[in-house]
Amino acid sequence: MSKLAHESAKFHVTGEAVYIDDILVNEQLLHGHVVYSPYAHAKIISYNIEEAENLEGVQCILSYKDIPGENQMGPVIHDELVLASDTVTFIGQAIFLIAAESEEIARNAEKLIKIKYKELKPILSIVDAIKSGVLIQPKRKIENGNLRKAFKKAANIIEGELKTGAQEQWYLETQIALVYPGEGKDLLVHSSTQHPSETQAIISEVLGIPKNEIEVQVRRMGGAFGGKETQANHTAAWASLLAHHTRRPVKIRLFRDDDQKMTGKRHRFLTYYKASFDKKGVISGLDLEQHTDAGAATDLTMAILERAMMHADNAYYIPNIRILGFAWFTNLPSNTAFRGFGGPQGMACIETIIDKIARQLKKDPAEIRRINFYRGEERSETPYGQIVEHNRLDIIDEQLMQSSKYIDRRDKIKQFNEKNEFIKRGIAITPVKFGISFTTSFLNQAGALVHVYKDGTILANHGGTEMGQGLHTKIQQITALEFGVSTERIKVNATSTAKVPNTSATAASAGTDLNGMAIKDAVLKLKNRIAIVVAEEFNKNIPKSKLESDEEDIIFVNDNIYDSENTTRKISFKDAVNLVYLNQVSLSATGFYKTPDIHFDREKGKGHPYFYYSFGMAVTEIELDTLTGFFKNLRTDILHDVGEPLNKRLDIGQIEGGYIQGQGWCTTEECKWDDKGNLLNHSPDTYKIPNIQDIPKDFRVQLLEGFPNSANTIRRSKTVAEPPLMLALSCWLAIKDAISAVGNHEIEPEYSLPATNEVILLSVDKIRKQLD
Amino acid sequence: MKNKNSHIISFVLDGEVVDIDFSGAQSLRPTTTVLNYLRSLPNHKGCKEGCAEGDCGACTVVLAKYEQKKIRYQAVDACLIFLPMLHGKQLITVENVGSSHKLHPVQEAMVDLDGSQCGFCTPGFIMAMFELYKNTSIPTNDQIDDALTGNLCRCTGYRSIIDAAQRAGAKKARDHFSQQKEIKKMLGGIHTNNIQLSNKNQVYHKPCDKQSALKLIQRHPKATIVAGATDIALRVTKNHENIPEIIDIGDIEELKKISSSKSHYKIGAGASLESVKAFSKVRLPALHKMLAVFGSKQIRHLATLGGNLGSASPIGDTTPVLIALKAIIVIEGKNGARKVPMSKFITGYRKSQCKAGELITEIQIPRARNGALIRSYKISKRKDLDIATVSAGFRVCLDKSNIPTDLMLVYGGMAEMTKRAVKTEEFLSGKVWNRKMIEQASNMISADFNPISDARSGARAREVMAKNLLMKFWTETTKA
Ligand SMILES: Cc1cc2nc3c(=O)[nH]c(=O)nc-3n(C[C@H](O)[C@H](O)[C@H](O)COP(=O)(O)OP(=O)(O)OC[C@H]3O[C@@H](n4cnc5c(N)ncnc54)[C@H](O)[C@@H]3O)c2cc1C
Ligand code: FES
Ligand code: FES
Repeated sequence: MSKLAHESAKFHVTGEAVYIDDILVNEQLLHGHVVYSPYAHAKIISYNIEEAENLEGVQCILSYKDIPGENQMGPVIHDELVLASDTVTFIGQAIFLIAAESEEIARNAEKLIKIKYKELKPILSIVDAIKSGVLIQPKRKIENGNLRKAFKKAANIIEGELKTGAQEQWYLETQIALVYPGEGKDLLVHSSTQHPSETQAIISEVLGIPKNEIEVQVRRMGGAFGGKETQANHTAAWASLLAHHTRRPVKIRLFRDDDQKMTGKRHRFLTYYKASFDKKGVISGLDLEQHTDAGAATDLTMAILERAMMHADNAYYIPNIRILGFAWFTNLPSNTAFRGFGGPQGMACIETIIDKIARQLKKDPAEIRRINFYRGEERSETPYGQIVEHNRLDIIDEQLMQSSKYIDRRDKIKQFNEKNEFIKRGIAITPVKFGISFTTSFLNQAGALVHVYKDGTILANHGGTEMGQGLHTKIQQITALEFGVSTERIKVNATSTAKVPNTSATAASAGTDLNGMAIKDAVLKLKNRIAIVVAEEFNKNIPKSKLESDEEDIIFVNDNIYDSENTTRKISFKDAVNLVYLNQVSLSATGFYKTPDIHFDREKGKGHPYFYYSFGMAVTEIELDTLTGFFKNLRTDILHDVGEPLNKRLDIGQIEGGYIQGQGWCTTEECKWDDKGNLLNHSPDTYKIPNIQDIPKDFRVQLLEGFPNSANTIRRSKTVAEPPLMLALSCWLAIKDAISAVGNHEIEPEYSLPATNEVILLSVDKIRKQLD
Repeated sequence: MKNKNSHIISFVLDGEVVDIDFSGAQSLRPTTTVLNYLRSLPNHKGCKEGCAEGDCGACTVVLAKYEQKKIRYQAVDACLIFLPMLHGKQLITVENVGSSHKLHPVQEAMVDLDGSQCGFCTPGFIMAMFELYKNTSIPTNDQIDDALTGNLCRCTGYRSIIDAAQRAGAKKARDHFSQQKEIKKMLGGIHTNNIQLSNKNQVYHKPCDKQSALKLIQRHPKATIVAGATDIALRVTKNHENIPEIIDIGDIEELKKISSSKSHYKIGAGASLESVKAFSKVRLPALHKMLAVFGSKQIRHLATLGGNLGSASPIGDTTPVLIALKAIIVIEGKNGARKVPMSKFITGYRKSQCKAGELITEIQIPRARNGALIRSYKISKRKDLDIATVSAGFRVCLDKSNIPTDLMLVYGGMAEMTKRAVKTEEFLSGKVWNRKMIEQASNMISADFNPISDARSGARAREVMAKNLLMKFWTETTKA
């Protein structure tokens, strides 16, 4: 069963899978359209929508004045307007909503809306924000040891700064919602959201109607990657407003360019660092200032910054450390979740530091990494006080160094580079240690609702959403395994707030960990009820001389139910279910789970925020044409720890996909803005995610074997989801290694992330000039 | 069934001939894209919109053409084709390939090898793989990469998809498309004649031969000429423009001819870039190299050489190399045909010698005389399916004393139009073709160009790229 294909695979490949835009609608559907600000910062002096309203086919045009509830859709901090009122603070900010009989009419209506603006000065970069901007929330701090002392005693100190770029989630299916009004104030909302409960909450607040009138449903998303954790709420809230006003079904589907312009991205970071280390390269102290670009609202920024701070150590023990986190307001769309959630930005910096230490000490970075790993009890305390337990770093490192033949290949690369002036090769190994759980502890809860029908089929409902990661498949497997039945019996339902309430987002890589346990809880309840009835039934017909069946001994195996003490007593699952029904016992149960033993004190920056850590490492070798800046990923080897895998096929898919997404962030995916705040890369024409020719020519992914999760997770598995993305830092540093070869590793290359061919060529050019 | 009406288009879908009469149609117009048409039907929602600009392939469909008694399959982006372009063809969608009850071998391979995660890109991949399945037995890795370059997937990381394409291609069995008797009959029955479609604010002409096209173009000099529509369609899908009058030359066979004479290669302006790519592989390697990284297969099936020249873009990929190849552009109009050397063809930003009322009909490329070394280069952010940041077409002959003669250094992406690096060429004239001279010459490039910063790159990097390409050219032309 750990080799089950994705539950929807057959529907995917035939086009039968239904996404929101595929739901059949009739001519009563209205098309929603968002009119947004063309200015990054401006006052709205006046506007006139009359002419647009009068256009035939326009049903209504709404402004902030038409919001019955609160004009706010910030998920954590209420600082994000549904529709702008007197000021606009970023390009892409919604001002009006149009509902029309067709998209074309809506677009024509937009042209008739007249808005007068007075432009104000925008803040568009982190550097400008540091100079003259404002923090969106108070700064954060995590501190441990005695940094001053460490720096004083240090043999070596390096200092520098690192820029990491924004990344567009680029889910294939753009943001979309379809809302059907019912009787009274009822709304049925189909939303491509990772967080149906929050989508429901935001709609409830915006419309001023209670949550029990709103049902949010998600069958599947066409990709999300964090981009639909909070920002799917926007489209859903806008469509709901229009449906509420017109009492007609309304669909809003963002056009690709609008989606890219209007929604937030992975946060840009600018990190200033200073690190001390000894002659061998062991780091003794680290002083970090992480500055990030929040955009025009808080959204999830503080949680993301927090995770960046808590992953600034990555896999390395740093006894003396101070991490300051600053989130700056800028006049750009509010940046938001993206796979890794700050982790990649945190790790990129420490990996850069290690790389630099190695170059300075003329050692292999793999060695510097190794001597700095968390190890044993002495080297186990993280900056925020959690102890790294069940550490798999050394095991993975040893196995991967061997299986990838790193040392041999490093030699061959050296020889290759000596012979070739313009083509250079580079290699790097990088580790990932990723903390699993929401750092806001109360979010670590989940619910489930399992129905068994009289025909013996099972419907599993849970709070998680399916975005391609295979969560529903894993839930199907867990349900089947726990029930001792075949997976064919089980259907996992579309996620609905009417089935499981008050859920957390499917995020933080916690989808299976949380919902799988909740499902298990529900199944256990049902099994107990079934066991009682079955035991009674077994006991009805047995002669007095024989021992009675005890419900404790009833087992569920292979679609049958037995008495484990006397396996001739057997009933099929289906017959048992019918029996339970006839005995007037409920065949429906809820399940619940909360992650135990986690806590974090934000004020002190200390606690035990993670249930467990996920570990992995990658070795990447690339070949760089230093004249064109093109690189080829020659080979990537990954060894990743997923505990006892629930589904190897899905897990490998997640690892590969995550790595390639990370490679995109590290190389060709670039967001640039002009001096007015216009995003220049707002379509796949200029925004380049990896394509089929960019992947490693030789791609070897292995799961670490023989190490079930020590934490009590569902079937001792570990999540996959986010962590593999960060393995791509090996690709980023392999490219740097190749650039460094141009100067025979004597010169520290200028480098930032993404390493576009622009960055690469300018870096190489600079080294060549220094060599001349 | 013969279609004599010149205001109706006919194509085959779901095993039936579909006629569309735009004069009556309410929601359809001639420039409605095939993507939007399919999505308006209840049973073809498998065709997805990911970008509406030809960059993601989620909308990939396959067009089947009946030619010389054989059916030819071509994957194209449904978001870039207008309905009339279907005329006389079979439109095959993912729903036609197989269903969850009866999977096609490519679908089965994708299920078995985990080629889908969120599944949104998957129907497009299936269609691109289906085309590969029909046209290529036991595809090589390069053929698979090439066939799937036009499809983006954000979830899988592609490895599983490549494996699926390999598996499907390895054990090729007949599929339900092997027997297409009925379809052949239907396609054979659709008449190819001049078509004129009009509706609301739009007239769409689809002449079936060159003479009719030339007449139309002279009669309607303001009409927009459309060949593959890979440029023009974006005005509709991205800018939501209404193009009032269109002359679609995309199906004129005379314009698609490719031939060789003793002195020249002759490429019809309407030949698809995919066919030009195949033709140039051995004959014109420098052109082939550009076409190998030109858009994607889906794009090259539609896009034409005439269209690339017609758009006269400063980042058009074929321009620099065609200048270096000393191509001659044949332009036909009122006064018959005239020939313009490629070096004079482009006259400014998106301006060329081809005037209103004229048509580019052929591109003639002289066979290189012995000793001419011609190379092309393209630097883009992503190697494949990307527009050039800087491109180049270079030509040099080296005489006995290793001195360049016939030197042409043509750059795209460095100015408002494709231009030769005149000062750099001058500097090198009479100098020895060695590294020192090249290094000195590359410093002249800043005198030749003043490039811009944009979404693709900063100006300084463009300058470095231009210099580097000269160095690259030298390394490839110098005798070791
Ligand atoms: C996703 C995508 C990727 C692309 N990648 C590339 C790339 O890598 N490199 C590149 O250079 N371009 C690229 N393009 C642009 C475009 O595909 C090319 O310019 C293509 O060659 C245009 O050919 P067409 O036949 O489709 O032109 P059309 O769109 O039909 O026409 C383009 C222009 O040429 C005119 N025209 C067409 N035929 C003639 C003729 N015979 N006589 C006179 N005028 C004519 C038209 O009026 C129009 O102005 C890409 C486009 C897309 C959508
Ligand atoms: S929708 Fe992306 S290529 Fe057509
Ligand atoms: S499977 Fe999600 S984009 Fe390909």
